[in-house]
Amino acid sequence: MEERSLDELGPVDYLVVEFPAGKSNFTGEMAKELLALVDAGTIRVVDILILTKDQDGTVEAMELSDIEELGELARLESELAELLAADDVIHLAAAMDPGSTAGVIIWENLWAAPFASAARRSGGQLIANGRIPIQAIIASIQADEAAIPVGG
Amino acid sequence: MPLRAARVGRVGVVGAPVAKTAVVAAAVTPGPSPVAKTAVVAAAVTPGRPGRRRI
Repeated sequence: MEERSLDELGPVDYLVVEFPAGKSNFTGEMAKELLALVDAGTIRVVDILILTKDQDGTVEAMELSDIEELGELARLESELAELLAADDVIHLAAAMDPGSTAGVIIWENLWAAPFASAARRSGGQLIANGRIPIQAIIASIQADEAAIPVGG
Repeated sequence: MPLRAARVGRVGVVGAPVAKTAVVAAAVTPGPSPVAKTAVVAAAVTPGRPGRRRI
């Protein structure tokens, strides 16, 4: 990977996708969509781990390279920065139900980097960011609807 | 399988145990018309709809 200055880095996000016991259906579709985002230059994958949590709460972590039949994802492996530490595995696995498997992905939002850099050059500084859950949008809409008078 | 040695003994970046978020599918499933509810949410984030902002 080419060297980039700190000012040129985009925001880094993570997500944990849980697959409850017996409910996984891996067809390669997830890998295909992830690679499409990488190939489009939308994101750069920084790290990937696969976690399993036993019924007794014991957590095991697998590196991407530990997976057999990695397929197309193999080309990401050499680009991973291994950002996550052992402590992070414990913290992330706290969200998992016993008996489940989860994929953890860390990525840089390459699409946001030029804008963020421009904002900094313009004297701006990030003071807040976040994600609005769909549930919150639903609740807001429902509250609005409930507030509308009948016939109004 | 053990983690790579590079991950052990380092300061983490997540900071604290992560709480499980509400599952999105569950949020749009209840009610008599989940399809309609999903459409309403999609409309809410689509440009051009009437404003609902009150400050």
